Amino acid sequence: MEAVYLDHAATTPVRPAVLDAMRTVLTEQFGNPSSVHRWGREARTLLETARERVAQAVGADRREIVFTSGGTEADNLAVLGRARAVRATGGRDVVAVSAVEHKAVLGAAEAVADEGGLVILLSTDEQGRVDLASLEQALQERPAVVSVQWANNETGVLQPIESIAGLCRAAGVPLHSDAVQAMGRVPVRVDQVPVDLVAISGHKLGAPKGIGALYVRSGVELVPLTHGGGQERGLRPGTENIAAIVGLGVAVEEAMAARDREYNRLAGLRDELQAALVADIPGLSVNSGEADRLPNILNISLADVEQDALMVSLDLEGIAVSSGSACQSGAVEPSHVLVAMGRAHEGAAALRISLGWTTTGEEIARVKAALPGIVQRVREFA
Amino acid sequence: MEQRTVVVAMSGGVDSSLAAALLVEQGHRVIGITMKTFCYSETAAPTKTCCGLDGIMDARRVADTLGIPHYVFDMEEAFTADVIDDFVAEYAAGRTPNPCVRCNSNTKIPDLLRRARKFGADTIATGHYARVIDGRLARGLDASKDQSYFLWGVPRELLKHIVFPVGELTKPEVRERARRLALATADKPESQEICFVPTGDYTEFLAKRLGAEHPSLQPGRMVTPAGAVVGEHGGYARYTVGQRRGLGGGYREPLYVLEVRPNSNEVVVGTEHDLYRGEVRIGGLNWLDTPPSVGDELLVQLRYRAPAVACTVRGFEDDSVSLELATPQRAVTPGQSGVLYRGELVVGGGRIL
Repeated sequence: MEAVYLDHAATTPVRPAVLDAMRTVLTEQFGNPSSVHRWGREARTLLETARERVAQAVGADRREIVFTSGGTEADNLAVLGRARAVRATGGRDVVAVSAVEHKAVLGAAEAVADEGGLVILLSTDEQGRVDLASLEQALQERPAVVSVQWANNETGVLQPIESIAGLCRAAGVPLHSDAVQAMGRVPVRVDQVPVDLVAISGHKLGAPKGIGALYVRSGVELVPLTHGGGQERGLRPGTENIAAIVGLGVAVEEAMAARDREYNRLAGLRDELQAALVADIPGLSVNSGEADRLPNILNISLADVEQDALMVSLDLEGIAVSSGSACQSGAVEPSHVLVAMGRAHEGAAALRISLGWTTTGEEIARVKAALPGIVQRVREFA
Repeated sequence: MEQRTVVVAMSGGVDSSLAAALLVEQGHRVIGITMKTFCYSETAAPTKTCCGLDGIMDARRVADTLGIPHYVFDMEEAFTADVIDDFVAEYAAGRTPNPCVRCNSNTKIPDLLRRARKFGADTIATGHYARVIDGRLARGLDASKDQSYFLWGVPRELLKHIVFPVGELTKPEVRERARRLALATADKPESQEICFVPTGDYTEFLAKRLGAEHPSLQPGRMVTPAGAVVGEHGGYARYTVGQRRGLGGGYREPLYVLEVRPNSNEVVVGTEHDLYRGEVRIGGLNWLDTPPSVGDELLVQLRYRAPAVACTVRGFEDDSVSLELATPQRAVTPGQSGVLYRGELVVGGGRIL
């Protein structure tokens, strides 16, 4: 039985070109970019080349890119770093975040609250899009930062980021956007949309885990989370993870080159799968199905289906997809995203099926064939 | 046994770990499940018993060693309704509950089996020291570890879907085989406490659930069977029949709790001699074999690890049975299980009234 991996929004395999580039760095170009000798200079060149690649991909200046350990750290640096910067100058450390943010942003906002700050949660409509009226209301509190994701990690819904950025800019409030899922799938351009901070992650793009980046618009003040040497303009001290940074640069470049082609290919496969499942499975509804979405995510709710049993059945069939989110113990918890959208229904299961660069038509066909029967069996033994 | 798809309830202890290993050895398709039954953050010391978060991690390590899939099921809601609420209500009513019986009867076996059927498994296994022989529940081979006492409440029709792989082994054999297989839990100490009361202080747990103002936790009179007041007690839910009360003023012999009277908020105490009872009534019955008739002679076990004693069925009333004990038994405790045996086979059981 061929295994089917449709959990690319969780993580995706490293691209061969990324691995090749990283192997060379790890074995031959192993220098420390802070060193003055030849090895150091070589590493410095690699570091800045990767930075240039990431900057170009988002339409930024090279000096506006800070490498981090991943999306979570980038989100924390943006949200917590902004709150601390404003507090340091005697301002109000209020942050406004959408209720459907990734846990990285929600957790950082909680930390702001723990430090004595105030968190405003922005509500969404039933499709999971931020309610602009609630944003306008929050902006009256003059937050240190507003954080709204570019696209949602569970449903793939695209936020009305231009409108959000316009409102924030008009109010003079910096906007952070977690673009971890959107990067490489749809245009993420800071020269076209006036966002001030953007987080991206390597391992969603075909680079390894443990690398990410934060775009910081020139002039936006942040307080760093860690302290040490002055690397990354003091915002992220510590010897740079050159191999992973080079990998991220290569992955971003490859994803950009393939973006429009992949958009059409994955959206085609996703739409084909969605149509088949809607036709073959009674009691199925598509979450965020009425809104603009990423091309690679399909999130469905299934009435009268026990989530645990469904996840086990799929795993035993060799089909890897995802449910809401797993807690520390591994037990499946209801998705806070669907809860915020008012779509977490009692007794219903939710599945996120996410496609990626290795996804084939055969994999989609397997799921089309298998899922209706699995759902039927799970419903039978009530 | 033909090859089956078996779901093993893995608590993270050595018994259920080896149960999974034995099923793998027997060639079955084995799926490990750990039930998350309560919120870990609510308990002060979650590592003390096998049901805590560490238990989940241990079960996962064993499953990895065995090369079987392992999942965690959140069964907190059902466990709270079926086990914890009952535990609290029983103490509030002046009785001494067996939460493990409730868990086996409702959560661990029927609820898990219902879920297992949804993914194509029709057999479940646990690490209990018990056996199923020709569709009947029997004591485990290791008499000192036998846990059939906790299983009387399992619905009879489910017995054919249950296996107890360690029931044929002794505890030292289980440890030895687990060590040989290098299972991470081979030398893990046994859990003694109630899983959701890891500190062992159940009155603290009751106070949290019921509120410190609850009548069962208020001081009251301690009386003799004749009605003489001999002292004060600190809340009847803190007492269980047979518990020693220490030397009371003017009493030469140590005093023991004979009875808990929730309605009058009294705890009745007396001498050890007063603790013995020659008859017992058991209610809320569940039969796992042909029910006995009046006059039948059977064995009854009134406490975990107590020896079973001969008894004669004296009569049935509503959902209860009255038994005459061949020899009077010490501290027959309402709320504990009374389990009837024919030889090694469990006939049925209920709660002592």
